[in-house]
Amino acid sequence: MSELKDCPPLKYYDFKPVEHVKLCPRYTAVLGRSEDDGIGIEELDTLQLELETLLSSASRRLRALEEQRQILTEWQDKKGDKRFLKLSKDPDPAAPVRHKPKKQKLDGKGGHGPGPGPGRPKSKNLQPKVQEYEFTDDPQDIPRTPKNDAPNRFWASVEPYCADITNEEIRLLEELLKPPEDEAEYFKIPTLGKHYSQRWAQEDLLEEQREGARANDKKKSLMGGPLSELDAKDVDSLLKKSESQHESPEDGCPFGPLTQRLLQALVEENIISPMEDSPIPDISGKDANDGAGTSPRSQGKSFSVPHTRSLEARIKEELIAQGLLDSEERPGQGGDLEDEVLAELQKRQAELKALIAHNRARKQELLRLAKEEMRKQELRQRVRVADNEVMEGFRRIMAARQKKRTPTKKEKDQAWKALKERESILKRRQQKLSCRSTVEDILADVDPRMKQEPVCLTLSSCVSGVTRFILKGYRAAQLSTGSFTTDNNQRKAAS
Amino acid sequence: MMRSLQSQAFTFLTPAGDPRRRNMSADTKIAELLTELHQLIKQTQEERSRSEHNLLNIQKTHERMQTENKTSPYYRTKLRGLYTTAKADAEAECSILRHALDKIAEIKSLLEERRIAAKMAGVYSDSDPPRKTMRRGVLMTLLQQSAMTLPLWIGKPGESPPPLCGAISASSDYVAKQGDKVAARVKAVDGDEQWILAEVVSYNHSTNKYEVDDIDEEGKERHTLSRRRIIPLPQWKANPETDPEALFSKDQLVLALYPQTTCFYRALIHTPPHRPQDDYSVLFEDTSYADGYSPPLNVAQRYVVACKENKKK
Repeated sequence: MSELKDCPPLKYYDFKPVEHVKLCPRYTAVLGRSEDDGIGIEELDTLQLELETLLSSASRRLRALEEQRQILTEWQDKKGDKRFLKLSKDPDPAAPVRHKPKKQKLDGKGGHGPGPGPGRPKSKNLQPKVQEYEFTDDPQDIPRTPKNDAPNRFWASVEPYCADITNEEIRLLEELLKPPEDEAEYFKIPTLGKHYSQRWAQEDLLEEQREGARANDKKKSLMGGPLSELDAKDVDSLLKKSESQHESPEDGCPFGPLTQRLLQALVEENIISPMEDSPIPDISGKDANDGAGTSPRSQGKSFSVPHTRSLEARIKEELIAQGLLDSEERPGQGGDLEDEVLAELQKRQAELKALIAHNRARKQELLRLAKEEMRKQELRQRVRVADNEVMEGFRRIMAARQKKRTPTKKEKDQAWKALKERESILKRRQQKLSCRSTVEDILADVDPRMKQEPVCLTLSSCVSGVTRFILKGYRAAQLSTGSFTTDNNQRKAAS
Repeated sequence: MMRSLQSQAFTFLTPAGDPRRRNMSADTKIAELLTELHQLIKQTQEERSRSEHNLLNIQKTHERMQTENKTSPYYRTKLRGLYTTAKADAEAECSILRHALDKIAEIKSLLEERRIAAKMAGVYSDSDPPRKTMRRGVLMTLLQQSAMTLPLWIGKPGESPPPLCGAISASSDYVAKQGDKVAARVKAVDGDEQWILAEVVSYNHSTNKYEVDDIDEEGKERHTLSRRRIIPLPQWKANPETDPEALFSKDQLVLALYPQTTCFYRALIHTPPHRPQDDYSVLFEDTSYADGYSPPLNVAQRYVVACKENKKK
């Protein structure tokens, strides 16, 4: 029989109770008090903590005892069973976890450690203990490290303002410069429709007609067909009559306003003149021009005079020609002075026109700047290439140094060439940088109303291009100072 | 903390009229409970000294068994008997301790009720002198105090921790009670959203909205917020010694109360607590540091809650 089998895998826990005198001073103090002294409200919090400590330790003891008892029982029952050792380990996976912090706690709280002694676990248990500890910990320990990407987000948001201008963006600008096809649409002035009073009257009439028809239907169902047909005809004729009435002015006079005014002027004079001169021949005389010799009165109610419109037009023309009438009196197409809607429409159109012109100018300016920036970009690209060349030369010379041989003539020439080229490019760029301030002026001048025009919403994204341009200028300036140091190094190396 | 509790007690005694009589009865109730508590504590100690003898016996037996390095049937039987007795003792001790802790909780809830009542009275009656706003330092001490005295959850063997214990969040239909502390997401004046520490005033079941008070008296305003914007704070501390699974684990994303403020910010758990009274050590997201996180700071279990939203946008 091996010793292992003879000995149940007990942990020999330290079941020492908590030393309340040391760890729980308030609890101890309360214990010493008489009934009358009692406990103060202010002591509750401390007491709670201390009681929790006691409870925690007691319940831990409870669990450990239960577990150990189980082991003992099982071991007794299965004594001699080879599987026992395996099984016995299973019920206590959490035990080591519990045991370890307990010691820590005691150490921390009162400086009281259990110390080496009978209460400690046997060393043979140590190995599985560590393993199991790791095992129980593992499932929770899946490291899910959420990244803090705030800095990246910031740089991503800034990126569009600093990126190079692409050909595509230039194309977009040019696209925007083309006047949109529907521009003319906004300057159209629709012709005047029927006056609402007339339309309403007609609608009323139609409605009445419909209602009448419905009433007729009822009647028809009662009395039979022929009458309703008659009624329908009646209504039709009525409708026609009303239409013809609406075409002419309400007072029934077929003549235009100018004709009437002219006539009135003449008639009034006639009032003073002797009564024998009846106005009728006068009119007939006038109307004789149009070839209508009949008097309106004789015609009765339904009289109509042809060509009144052309008469009106000719009278007007004549009056203007005579200088009696101001030709400016009727501006616009078919409108007149009192048309508020028209006036408003024209005002807005004028505004839109001004706005479009302004935007157009801005877009053109932007395009010009973007193109200029493109050229600079190209220049920068070349500077970068030149920088690389210089660095390449530098490396070669340094490599030669390291091998303790003097750089060849070819290498030296190459390095000098690269340096000079770079310098010339830098000089050219310096001249261009001066235009930066003008861009700032333009930015200040951008009309806030631009946003009203739909096209400008897209344009506002282009404005960011201008900002980008400024940022770039700043970057370029930094770059040039930064690269200056490499420049000096280069020179040192070359000499 | 003692002082703060006393001053609370004073404010309760002052309101004139009816509340006083109610307070009187509450006072006698509390006095009774305190006496009971006192008795329970004495019983606890009796129980403890009774079981002490047995535990000493176990220890002696352990020693003897280990020196002999062999377990004779006699010792095994003896040990088993001792264990059984000790277990019964421990059970008795636990139950009496729980009883005592329940008493404390009862007294505290009575005190809390009085506090809320006084607060309401303070709001509605003009006869009271206007309550002085708390100084910031006092508020911070109070917050720390309430974090420290958050009851520790100690389950019976085989019991798993309930919701609102440590990292275990409340069930979805949980409704925080009046006076409960919560993390509330509010819109600040400048339009930014912030998680603040707040106290529940009421909950409207028809609109599913909470009314909460900002805990910070300086920015004293009442917010009406939908329940989505409220995270109840834990009501028990999880015991790292017995229920480590009820704690947030390392590197988990949480909302934690930044020390000396009343706002919650996103943070990563650096180390979970090892002992019941320990705090979490967390790393706050902070762009002013090179790696994006602050150095480790301590935050009590009470003020660490799960971070619901994954990432804004």
